Amino acid sequence: MKPRRRSILSMLDDTVRWTGMPARVAAQMSNDPSVDRKHRPLRWIPIWPIAFSCALLMVSLAWPPALDGVSMGLIISGITVFWCVIFGMMPGIHMNGPLGKPSLEDDEREAALRKDAFLICLGLLAVLNCLGQPVLMILSHWKDWQIAQTASVVTSAFMLNAALLGCLPTLYASWNLRQLPNE
Amino acid sequence: MQGISLSLHNRISVFRAERGISRRQLAEAVGVNNQTIGYLERGDYKPSLELALKIARHFDVAVEMLFSLERFEPIAMTLKRTGEDE
Repeated sequence: MKPRRRSILSMLDDTVRWTGMPARVAAQMSNDPSVDRKHRPLRWIPIWPIAFSCALLMVSLAWPPALDGVSMGLIISGITVFWCVIFGMMPGIHMNGPLGKPSLEDDEREAALRKDAFLICLGLLAVLNCLGQPVLMILSHWKDWQIAQTASVVTSAFMLNAALLGCLPTLYASWNLRQLPNE
Repeated sequence: MQGISLSLHNRISVFRAERGISRRQLAEAVGVNNQTIGYLERGDYKPSLELALKIARHFDVAVEMLFSLERFEPIAMTLKRTGEDE
């Protein structure tokens, strides 16, 4: 029994190693990062959760009955993928450095880019929320929203906030990170 | 009269070539990513005072020899002027 379990575990280990993630995490968590290290730009993936949550907010604002027609399985799948992408990206954009490890020494250019990305994101979020809250309040009175629609709008607005917080810094940094050719 | 431009000019690549040092070696010596040395040489990134001083110390020259707010004189002109002085 014991050897069989080990072989299954080792197969699982091999599968994980095959993804390349352990090596990547080990390199990122190293106390002595190579001068050749390169951050992988993610230029397109962060757009999807932002687009998805924008679309969800638009639909919940403009045409709430559309959400009633969507099957629960599709909604749950969409939300699961959404949160997986957000949480997958969060460690990479932690303020203290990749994977939240302060000892990983981003050099001053990388640290400046990281801080710029957060500053832009938080500034944009603050402006959007300052403008959006009164607009939503006026809309709710004007259109006489019921509890169901209010809950739908609040949920989709929360998801948009989470998407922007989770993805916008990565998006900004990725588009500003040009890899120069090696010597 | 030559006006002061807003960009920061540097001669890191010239000093690197003269000393036969690769980007990687310089990056290791001053503790940055070698991509950062590339950005510096292209003028796409302005270094902190600390990094500028570290690079100058590595080449054992004054920081003004490496960085300037004005364009550096072409090396051919410098050589010509040196020859005339001698």
